[in-house]
Amino acid sequence: MSPAGAPERARRLIAIVPWVAARDGATVDEICERFQVDRRRLLDDLETLQFVGVAPYTPDLLVEVVVEDDRVWIHLPQGFDRPLRLRPDQALALLAAARGAASVHGAVDGPLGSALEKLARALGLADADAVDVDLATADPATLELLRHAVTDRRCVELDYYAFGADRRSHRVVEPHRISAFEGHWYLAAHCRQAEAERVFRVDRISGATVLDERFEPRPEVGEARPFVDVEELDAPEVVLELAPSARWVVEYHPVANVEELPDGGLRVTMPVTAEPWLGRLLVTLGPAARVVGGDPSFADLAARTASRVLGRYE
Amino acid sequence: MDKLERLMTLTATLLNTTRALTAEELREKIPGYADADASFRRQFERDKDDLREMGLPLVVEDAPGTDPPVAGYRIDRGAYYLDDPGLTADELGALHLAMSLVQLEGGVGVDGLWNLGGVVGAPAAPDAGDVVLGSEPALVTLFSAVAEHRRAAFRYKDREREVDPYRLDYQRGHWYLTGFDHSRADERVYRVDRIDGLVTLGAPGTFTPPGDTTPGARTPAWQLGEGEPMQARVLVDAGHAPWAVQAAGADAVVAEHPDGSVELELAVVDTDAFRGFVLGFLEHAEVLAPPELRADLVAWLGALR
Repeated sequence: MSPAGAPERARRLIAIVPWVAARDGATVDEICERFQVDRRRLLDDLETLQFVGVAPYTPDLLVEVVVEDDRVWIHLPQGFDRPLRLRPDQALALLAAARGAASVHGAVDGPLGSALEKLARALGLADADAVDVDLATADPATLELLRHAVTDRRCVELDYYAFGADRRSHRVVEPHRISAFEGHWYLAAHCRQAEAERVFRVDRISGATVLDERFEPRPEVGEARPFVDVEELDAPEVVLELAPSARWVVEYHPVANVEELPDGGLRVTMPVTAEPWLGRLLVTLGPAARVVGGDPSFADLAARTASRVLGRYE
Repeated sequence: MDKLERLMTLTATLLNTTRALTAEELREKIPGYADADASFRRQFERDKDDLREMGLPLVVEDAPGTDPPVAGYRIDRGAYYLDDPGLTADELGALHLAMSLVQLEGGVGVDGLWNLGGVVGAPAAPDAGDVVLGSEPALVTLFSAVAEHRRAAFRYKDREREVDPYRLDYQRGHWYLTGFDHSRADERVYRVDRIDGLVTLGAPGTFTPPGDTTPGARTPAWQLGEGEPMQARVLVDAGHAPWAVQAAGADAVVAEHPDGSVELELAVVDTDAFRGFVLGFLEHAEVLAPPELRADLVAWLGALR
């Protein structure tokens, strides 16, 4: 455990005192585990605690600490008889974590559900779900299957839809790590076909089967944070002029360069990992985007894509 | 006397006093402060910072009986104590597991659990899925506002807002605030990372939130805005049906065809957002009805050709 400063040690003691005082002889080991402190530090800090109290520091005004046979008793807690309330950032971190974990399992029940209810009441939240976290849209069954495959180090056969390339594929991967980022779940895996790391969005996996075959973990897979689409490297570029109404584009897509335009719009340079991705962006933006440079094959992409989609209506 | 003992004694003294104590009174009561005035001042300032960082509700007010007034200190007992939620070991374990899975950016640790009875059980395996939620500077302030029913003032989309904040929702990778906007006299949803600058809060308990608040961010984009919704019907091809259903919700499915394609019925208010949704599927989706929306899409694409 890392060396702690006096404020952190004080904060820990302030939590330990009411917890021990409410019990008849908690064990040293149990206190160490619950309050994340090593034995020596705990015994030192309990020693100090015996001198804490209020003036004029007569015995009845000091915290009484008894350590005997590896058990601890605290009497006369001198005001430290109930725990300190949580700071707002601590309370929010707890609620957000509990809500987020519940959203992964798709239900607020079990011990997590009852913990959330008790916590909301203790924090004085009138509405128990005034803070809610929906981590990502992904099929809980697929997530669960992948999570087991990661833990058991088993290969998985995937049916995958590559959104950027607008292409469906079938492949065998070695799943290494699952992570949620910006509202989506991702699987980082070693792809047997590409013989390289690939990142898959879990909600675009339309079929997954765990195989009997096991794999040796590769330490480099899944270490890059946040996950970047490996296809972005060495991709051809497009230069777009965006109207002010389309400035949001730079918040949602990778951009290599951004310049302000006098009309309030932007000139952006973006890597194009797959043509259908850019085609989709251009037809969605319509008159708010114009291709002004980059790889020449993108010059008439908006027209080509529009024609293809119009084919359905003709 | 070591610093830990001084901080603990200072806390006990401030917690047990009914009237605010001056720095000089504290210096007399608490052993371990320096004799030299300048060193004492420095020590005392640092101690106050430490108490605040620990989350102690330190109150500074005029010490009674001082003229001219001198600053006095005490701890607000009402704000100090947590109503112990009485969490069981199982519940603490579930919270610990949840915190190892989902963290707020900027890393508040699990030490909040100390106040609730300690850290119980093992954390989740690090490779089995972990999440870091974005945390904007305004987020913690807005959480206090939601929890304590304080009115929040902030700048958003070039307008000053006065908002009664009802709830915070994390959706599609972003935090959203839902509340009653007094400058617009209506309920509104704000993306927290788009709030411009500082959020200032009014007094606690200034409004009563409605019993049942809707997480506005969950509403699909094409339903947002004002006006009468149009019922639109969209056909999505088999391969793309799963994510279309995920985005629109299972309730939107009005027909499932033998080839795996689905028909969705959507209530459209914002036609731009609707067009964006349909074009996301490229040629794998088609607007079937109403004729106006079909014509709008054809005209939009025709202009690009």
